[in-house]
Amino acid sequence: MSSQAHYREAHPLVFVITHWINLICMIMLAFSGFYIHYPFFDGFMGVARGMHFVAMFVILINLVFRIIAAFFVKTAVDLGSREVDTDIKNWLPQAKNRHQFFETVKYYLFMRKEGVISAKYGSLQKIAYLATIPLTFIQAYTGFALYGPTADWGFFFGGTEWVGGEMNMRIIHYFIMWVFIVFTMIHAYLANVYNFAPSKIIFLWKETEH
Amino acid sequence: MAENVIIDPVTRIEGHLRVECEVEDNKVTNAWVSGALYRGMETVLLDRSPEDAFYVSQRICGVCPISHSHASSQATENALGITIPQGGRLVRNLLECAQFLHSHILWFYHLTALDYVNPVNALSADIADTYALAQAAGTRVADFGAVAARLAAFVENGQFSIFSGHTGWWGVGDRKHPGYVLPPELDLIATAHYLEALEIQAVANEIVAIIAGKFSHPMTSVPGGTAFVPTVEKLDDILFRFVRVKEFIDTALIPDTLAVGAALAGLPAEANPLKYGGGVGNFISWGVFEDASLVPEDRHLPRGFARGLSLEGVSPDDVTEDVLHSWYSSATGKNPKEGETKVKFTKYDTADKYSYGKAVRCKGESTESGPLARMVVAYLAEKSGHAIGKLADEGIRTPATLIDFTLDTLDIPVTDLLSLLGRVAARNLEAAYVADLALKYVGELVEALKGGDAKFWQAAEKDSGDGVGAWEAPRGSVAHWIGVKNGKIDHYQVVAPTTWDIAPRDDEGTLGPMEQALMGAPVADAERPLELLRIAHSFDP
Amino acid sequence: MAQEAHGAIYDLLAVRGVSRRDFLKYCSYVAAMLGLSEAAAPQIAAAVEAGARGKLKPALWLNGGSCSGCTESMAQVDSPDVATVVLELLSVNYFETIMAAAGDHAEKAMDDTIEAGGYLLIYEGAVMTGEDGNTLLINGKKGKDILQKAAEKADAILAVGACAVDGGWVYAHPNPAGGIGVQSYLDTVKVATPVVNLPCCPTSPEWIVAMVVQWLLVAEDDPATFLAKTELKTRTYKDSVTGNNVTLNYPAYIVGSTIHDNCPRRGHFENGEFVTEFGSEEEAKGYCLYKMGCKGPQTYTQCPITRWNRSVSWCVNSGAPCIGCGSLNWVDNNAPFFKRLSSMQLGGGVGNVQPGTVGAIVGGVAAAGLLAHGLGMKAAGRIGDGPPMETAKAYDRKKMAKKGGDK
Repeated sequence: MSSQAHYREAHPLVFVITHWINLICMIMLAFSGFYIHYPFFDGFMGVARGMHFVAMFVILINLVFRIIAAFFVKTAVDLGSREVDTDIKNWLPQAKNRHQFFETVKYYLFMRKEGVISAKYGSLQKIAYLATIPLTFIQAYTGFALYGPTADWGFFFGGTEWVGGEMNMRIIHYFIMWVFIVFTMIHAYLANVYNFAPSKIIFLWKETEH
Repeated sequence: MAENVIIDPVTRIEGHLRVECEVEDNKVTNAWVSGALYRGMETVLLDRSPEDAFYVSQRICGVCPISHSHASSQATENALGITIPQGGRLVRNLLECAQFLHSHILWFYHLTALDYVNPVNALSADIADTYALAQAAGTRVADFGAVAARLAAFVENGQFSIFSGHTGWWGVGDRKHPGYVLPPELDLIATAHYLEALEIQAVANEIVAIIAGKFSHPMTSVPGGTAFVPTVEKLDDILFRFVRVKEFIDTALIPDTLAVGAALAGLPAEANPLKYGGGVGNFISWGVFEDASLVPEDRHLPRGFARGLSLEGVSPDDVTEDVLHSWYSSATGKNPKEGETKVKFTKYDTADKYSYGKAVRCKGESTESGPLARMVVAYLAEKSGHAIGKLADEGIRTPATLIDFTLDTLDIPVTDLLSLLGRVAARNLEAAYVADLALKYVGELVEALKGGDAKFWQAAEKDSGDGVGAWEAPRGSVAHWIGVKNGKIDHYQVVAPTTWDIAPRDDEGTLGPMEQALMGAPVADAERPLELLRIAHSFDP
Repeated sequence: MAQEAHGAIYDLLAVRGVSRRDFLKYCSYVAAMLGLSEAAAPQIAAAVEAGARGKLKPALWLNGGSCSGCTESMAQVDSPDVATVVLELLSVNYFETIMAAAGDHAEKAMDDTIEAGGYLLIYEGAVMTGEDGNTLLINGKKGKDILQKAAEKADAILAVGACAVDGGWVYAHPNPAGGIGVQSYLDTVKVATPVVNLPCCPTSPEWIVAMVVQWLLVAEDDPATFLAKTELKTRTYKDSVTGNNVTLNYPAYIVGSTIHDNCPRRGHFENGEFVTEFGSEEEAKGYCLYKMGCKGPQTYTQCPITRWNRSVSWCVNSGAPCIGCGSLNWVDNNAPFFKRLSSMQLGGGVGNVQPGTVGAIVGGVAAAGLLAHGLGMKAAGRIGDGPPMETAKAYDRKKMAKKGGDK
């Protein structure tokens, strides 16, 4: 699978930019979040909080834009192909992904030798990418529930009471961050495990021929 | 014919207490004291972080939380190998002084005085005579006319608020209880001081607030020392409040004690509070107000155990707790180091189990704790050459000085200390000593700050160990036992101050200190057992 | 109205050296606490004065599973001082810790008041339900039954202090004595008397006075309107003893903002200036206690404004972090107090664990797993060009094979 070429059609420039924004915001959010959780050096709290709020708004807007754009921008139907279709079709599960979930798991557990046939993204990939969307919104929700100006809005406060108070909400917010960190680790690893062609295209928009 | 006299609830105390007595020919022939509240602190603390213990365990008592917090922190320090710095020691001493002064003033004027003072009788006081009496007794004057007017308005209104149900004892719409023997002028002085003392006890607690954030439930004495860092400005705020409280003690509490004492000491034997209420005659003090040496026996109210008037050493290992007569299913006769608390209510039965209090014993003996115990131990220690005798050189009125002065003034022998009135007086004399100590500690802290190298906190060196913190609360001896394993509490036991005095019978059937003190007490009016209330209150349970 | 008042209260306050001006100033303070404008001060003065002059409002102060700390706290109030409150503002006919009468005489004072009805009930301490309610006995009666009886005929109830609100520390895991809050208990015995909760351990005496004054102000003629006329905020929690969802009423002004919002050390927080060790130089400078585990950011009370002991100081001012005693189930939710996040009670021999530990373990395991997996991928020869690809899905191949076999 990774032996395929990586063309710009896989990741049009607009998505290269949204991916960059995601990456930068995630780093800023995690860094400032860890700092707010426990300030490991002095003199940065005001900036850290500002950074956390700005990055949060940017990443939310970016996410909404990315979802809308998926309905208009065309992307490659498969890696190594220049044939394009509306991005959302490639994003959601497709016929090619059917019956492949357990096969993919078996592949990664070294229980089969051959790589599995997949669409632009494999089953595991699609599940992971789709799960990050609600997870981002949940993380934003828990954040707003802790954020002074919005904490007592009924929409957020109801949730705070449901989980048993601000402390529990804070712990949930903290754990979801760890989920994102683990996601990012796995994502970066699996994307680049064979070679760095995927990074070249998503970050530098540089094509790689097989 | 014996009749049962029950006081439940015993009011004007912290918490809930029941006193039941068998009375025959106007004398108590048997007594049972029952604490009927169980909250489960020792169980709640398990598996938490050791540094949290002092915050939670102090909430056993809202009147002496500072002493609990100190005992708890000492237990943790003992377990984790921490020696607190001298600055922390002085701040803790100051905090403890403030609580002692608050507690003793509140106890005398607001909790026990109404057993002796009749505010209704004060209405018939002659104002001019009252001023004359105040001057003669060397006690503080107030606007006695205004107080009398306020009292008159209050009585006329007929809504007696916190005095409801008791005014009959004072002669409103009922026969006055014969125990109220003070002259109306002294009643008026005491009533005026009742009101003023409300202000003074609050001033003492302002000191607590400055050092520890608030009263009750202070924040500062974290394991390792104190969170609070004094500055010269803060010490100034503390000093002038201590001076104000000390002035009240010298000009009201002590002269009032002597005036009331003199009035009662002359009563015939069957009504004389020097002749009853003595109790078991064994006294324990864990020691309080840490000396620079950090040795419990050197504390400014030293550690010791007295059988009557003979002094010996004591250690927390000498403590056992019997539960044969208590609502627990755990093993009996254990030292709290191995003890446990498994609650099991059966029913109130004086022949069987009748209290949530455990029968705590020292060296196997039923033992009284509290100011009388501390003052007896300090008196005996000082007489046999303890270093606190030297504090007199710094202008401090030491325990022996205070006690000898009082015995002389009332013209009574030292053995009369072991009585109801002795217990009342000991508490107030202790307040005078503590007020002097407080000023000394402020001075030492100012010096330490000038030196510039004062330290207030020390980190722990290990995360496992067993420890005990044995200290004194205003009302008695408090000790916390802690076991810490890998940074978690795996054992916690508390012997609270009141537990000593309200102890039920032990496994051998020996009465607890308050039970013993009630034995033989006169009861002039079984419907209105004033003498029994006085005895219960004298322990400040 | 108050302007021309020369009632008993002024004479009495004068005796204690409190000027009329001080008194009115206090009334504006109470007004602020009640969320009213300062213009309401004369009205409040009038209510206090009416109390002092005429028929006093009866009240009962009951202690449940308490430490008497809230009573002690009440004794620290000034202008009006506690004597004024209990002698000239209310007729507190039962108040175990300070009342003169004892035993049957005290009980009679309570019974008479309950029988007459129309009183304010102040409840301190947890409602003890453990051992079938026998964990608190007063003269042979269960503490919870006394509460129920007194609550039924009360006009309104003030649940003072964390223990009365939701059981406080007594309610903390594993709650061996079965302590719960007043509202929760009254829900189970279907007593609908309105309850207003005053948080913290102990509660602030100023809050009690403010609510008493509020009661005199709005509910004197029509007790049923007490809740409707008081600006409230509600909080809901699930009581682990009764299993019920309990909705608590708090005065809005008291729980409207976090301690962090009003903290005098907030500037140091924003600047990133923190205390990292007790008794340190940073503490002497009054730096922020956030790193010491301060629970101010999630504790909704106005402690930094009211402060304690006649506004002399408050917890954070003494150099100790807020331990969040104003929040629900405060011990479990905030311990360990010196850590930023509370520990999770995992039980089963694991005990209490910090979320940070869990996070680090999860992250570490993931990293180690990926490294191991990467080595596996290398050993399997998949690095570089990737694995040989299947030509058809395993599923299709199997189906094919099955079909072929059928034929």
